[in-house]
Amino acid sequence: MHLSFHEKSLWVTLLTLVGAFRIYFTAAVQWYRQFAGTAPGMAVDVMPPQVVLLGVAIGMIVVATIVGHALIAIADRRTETDERDALIALKGTRNGAYVLATGVFFALYAALATDGNFIFTHVLLASWVLAQLVEIASQLVLQRRGA
Amino acid sequence: MGKGAYHVTNAIRSLRFRAGDMTQQQLADLVGVTRQTVNAIEGNKYSPSLEVAFRIARVFDVPLEHVFQYEGPEAGRATPR
Repeated sequence: MHLSFHEKSLWVTLLTLVGAFRIYFTAAVQWYRQFAGTAPGMAVDVMPPQVVLLGVAIGMIVVATIVGHALIAIADRRTETDERDALIALKGTRNGAYVLATGVFFALYAALATDGNFIFTHVLLASWVLAQLVEIASQLVLQRRGA
Repeated sequence: MGKGAYHVTNAIRSLRFRAGDMTQQQLADLVGVTRQTVNAIEGNKYSPSLEVAFRIARVFDVPLEHVFQYEGPEAGRATPR
């Protein structure tokens, strides 16, 4: 199976996002369990170490994406995209937008139903990450199926 | 009106064969699209824009209707008065 530059680029972005946010959300769940276990009933807020880890995760994404794209550009000189790629990108964005819109309502519910900003913030962040993954996965499926 | 009964077919594969076994990549380069797009068009999985359709026809030096055919029930055709 021969992948175009665009498909390789999508795979790099997908794997980078999954890797970075898997690390972040694993740590976030552990923090939440730890805090909720030691102070039951207390409002849980986002704390500075979590913000730092999020910054590190975003930094990892930026670096891995740049390195990944440089490597695939060296391996495959045909970096051009066309009208079909644009159409596929639009469809992917549309699918991702549905997920993000749904996630926003879940986040609003979390803001009203839970104390502190931890759950709200992380539901919103997870919605954005999931929307990105759906957008990229949709594009990969459409690239294979035709458009 | 449902879209299912109508579809665009094409003769790109045979035109490539007649043009000295032109590869999908060669056609893609001449038309200005990716090889994957030529493959998708050839397999009737993607209907190109009019501009790309005309460019494909120009590469093979044939009229557009020799490259693409629009198939569907005759009922869709307007009757001349």
